[in-house]
Amino acid sequence: MLSNGRLGLFLAVALAAAAPAQAQAPGQCGKTGGTLTYVYHPEPTALSTIATSAVPVAIISTKIYESLLSYDGAAMTPKPSLAESWEISADKKTYTFKLRRDVKWHDGKPFTAEDVKFSIEKVVRPYHSRGRVYFGDVTEVATPDPHTVSFTLKEPVPFFMNVFQPGEAPIMPKHLLETIDTSTVAGVRGSKLMQEPVGTGPFRFKEWRKGSHIILERNPDHWNKGKPCLDQVILRVLPDGAARAIAVENGEVDVAPMSGLPEAEILRLSKLAHIRTSKDGAEALGPNMWLEVNMREKPLADLKVRQAISHALDRERIVDVIWYGQGTAARGPIVSANPVHFNKALKPYQYDLGRANALLDEAGYKRGPDGVRFKLTQHFLPYGENWVRLAEYVRLELGKIGIAVDTQSVDLGGWLKTVYTDWAFHLTSTFSHNYSDPSIGVERTFTSSNIKKGATFTNSMDYKNPRVDQLFAAAARETDPAARKKQFDEIQQILHDELPVIFLVELSYTHVWNKRVHGLITNGISMYSSWDSVWKE
Amino acid sequence: MPDTLWFVLRRTLQVAPVVLAIAALNFVLLHMAPGDAADIIAAQSGGSSAEFVAELRQAFGLDRPLYQQFFIYIARLLTFDLGYSYVQHRPVFDLIIERVPATLLLMLTAIVIAFVIGVLLGIVAAMRHRRLLDSFVSVLALIVYATPQFWLGLMLIVLFSITLGILPSGGMATIGAEMSAPARVLDIGRHLVLPALTLGLFYVAVYARLMRASMLEVYSFDFITAARAKGLSETRVGLVHAASNALLPVVTLAGVQIGHLLGGSILVETVFGWPGLGRLVFDALLQRDLNLLLGILFISSLVVVIANLLVDLLYGLLDPRIVHK
Repeated sequence: MLSNGRLGLFLAVALAAAAPAQAQAPGQCGKTGGTLTYVYHPEPTALSTIATSAVPVAIISTKIYESLLSYDGAAMTPKPSLAESWEISADKKTYTFKLRRDVKWHDGKPFTAEDVKFSIEKVVRPYHSRGRVYFGDVTEVATPDPHTVSFTLKEPVPFFMNVFQPGEAPIMPKHLLETIDTSTVAGVRGSKLMQEPVGTGPFRFKEWRKGSHIILERNPDHWNKGKPCLDQVILRVLPDGAARAIAVENGEVDVAPMSGLPEAEILRLSKLAHIRTSKDGAEALGPNMWLEVNMREKPLADLKVRQAISHALDRERIVDVIWYGQGTAARGPIVSANPVHFNKALKPYQYDLGRANALLDEAGYKRGPDGVRFKLTQHFLPYGENWVRLAEYVRLELGKIGIAVDTQSVDLGGWLKTVYTDWAFHLTSTFSHNYSDPSIGVERTFTSSNIKKGATFTNSMDYKNPRVDQLFAAAARETDPAARKKQFDEIQQILHDELPVIFLVELSYTHVWNKRVHGLITNGISMYSSWDSVWKE
Repeated sequence: MPDTLWFVLRRTLQVAPVVLAIAALNFVLLHMAPGDAADIIAAQSGGSSAEFVAELRQAFGLDRPLYQQFFIYIARLLTFDLGYSYVQHRPVFDLIIERVPATLLLMLTAIVIAFVIGVLLGIVAAMRHRRLLDSFVSVLALIVYATPQFWLGLMLIVLFSITLGILPSGGMATIGAEMSAPARVLDIGRHLVLPALTLGLFYVAVYARLMRASMLEVYSFDFITAARAKGLSETRVGLVHAASNALLPVVTLAGVQIGHLLGGSILVETVFGWPGLGRLVFDALLQRDLNLLLGILFISSLVVVIANLLVDLLYGLLDPRIVHK
């Protein structure tokens, strides 16, 4: 609603990218039938985002499970899914959804409001990794009749209409949830339903051969008549990046979503005539990469030192050389692809070693006889080659301004413990998702209430600014979009100036597909959408 | 034969403490690394609250003191209970068992390829000792031996799958296709060629070198001189008299190398997306799935120890002197 123009432009771009040969109205099947094979690694550990909302699980489970809403365009305009209409009370504290009457579970049982109530209260809120953020303020879920469900909130939640995504608030069958122990996390995660899902979505579960593939087949009883376009969706698990790229290149695989190929391979494949690539379709995820700075450590507590580090790193170079062009220089905590909340007034930190040196001189850190001002250790997110190269680059550039950096390499388990439990680090690269709203994805890193030992991807920096805390708290309740935008603008300016983290690159999720596939890019969570309108020549 | 029986019993009894010691060592080594599965699960969910991680840790029993975890682990092992994978949400035993057939198929095919080709090359090299063919085989073996398996695998994919387009690049079967049983076997066979070749070629080099050396040693024995003196053809001397006797150490090595092969299959299964045990190890390592890792290590150490035991017993039968030592 805020940006119809943007949405139109986005759709036009998406269409141009997705269907250059045969222009097809969005949402229609250019052809019915066929099998779409996509490739991803690691293999999902479950087929429900309740067990874990990790990328591989989110991609596949969103074809099987649905939520009350689906979304259009990068701005994520809500549209009907399991709910056919909705009403929001004037005080924005009651949301009432009218549900479809023609929906059946994959096992043939009818879908009702009780399924929604049970799923949200017993499963999504307690066990989804963001369930408490989404539904923590819900005081009551009422089901006045089998086809109506209403949520009453303690306080208005401005992003409440964003949360009914198939991966974030999946609606699961009450009659099967009742057969498992929903009182403990182990009971839910260990249940058969996590391995053999029964949903309402356009595709139903057929076969899972561990280590090899998962087959989903068309749900012939789907409420959206004539959908899905495809007969089957197959996930192939290939652990080796080069082997995945080869499978896409020779046509054995149709789609490699979510940057599932090494960047160098993406670059190579993008030049082939039968391959399409796009960075669109993940706007509501917004991965943002930065260096987390431990402000408990003396030199790093000094703003001038952090500014010096920020000026010493060339973001364009990091994008071009380390990430093979797959990204954009970052200016602040919210990614520029966010059409609503990004603050355009933020100025980029220029790569300027002279300025960086001057700042360190001003801060009183003189170079010793060996040219070194002080020493730091550096960790890096152990997610592969790029992060190693980034660490090497950071070491090189900071060395030029007299900061001797010692790089420490540990695996994911060790890294998480070092950074988020022991806080025993100086600098570390990491990235975080914005998700569909800054209150969901950005707040967790920068408020002082999120300085919590053992909580992963939170405020490891020990950054405390009462004004930032206050603004985030206000924005989480603000129902006037213009006022909210102002609050987020101020937050972004403060964080940009105070640098609790050194903002580096807005990463992009690049999707690669064979040109015979159409209709993949539909909204800001395209790979976490149902693919009911995806078709194949 | 009481001596033989006693030998068998003694060697079998020796296996139990070895396996238990290996299991204990695995446990200690894996727990020395910082971080655990709860951290990883939380991180993969895009971050979680401290309470959530604590809940996971409690559910997995990771909040107990390490010595308690250790005794629980050993007590379970004694009843062959491998525990539960909290990452995959399934019993470890089930996870391992469903991967065994794929890995066995790959390993056995690779061993057969390696053994047959390796032994033949070794014989040829030995019979043409210090001639062009010998040098050729030796250099070839050296090159193959020194080639990293993952690279060799990728090059084979590029050649056979992309350039020639005659073999699939990965996986174990064509997915989702309805096929008759013979067609299915053929399909798996087509998928098997490249990974088995990649895994086997390394051992071709090993066996070729070993067979050659063993043959040359046998050639120096008196009975070979005797055979030649009888006027037998050099081919007959080489193939019948020398080769059959030179084969013993190679057979021994093949038995002992099962564990090594399992290690090699991690790389090969990863490159080719082969759904076997090696892949399971790879994934378990990345996910810090300790119970699964411990389970796989336990089973594989059991396999290696039993393979060694069988070789020992076989030796006892073949060479009675060993029993009496």
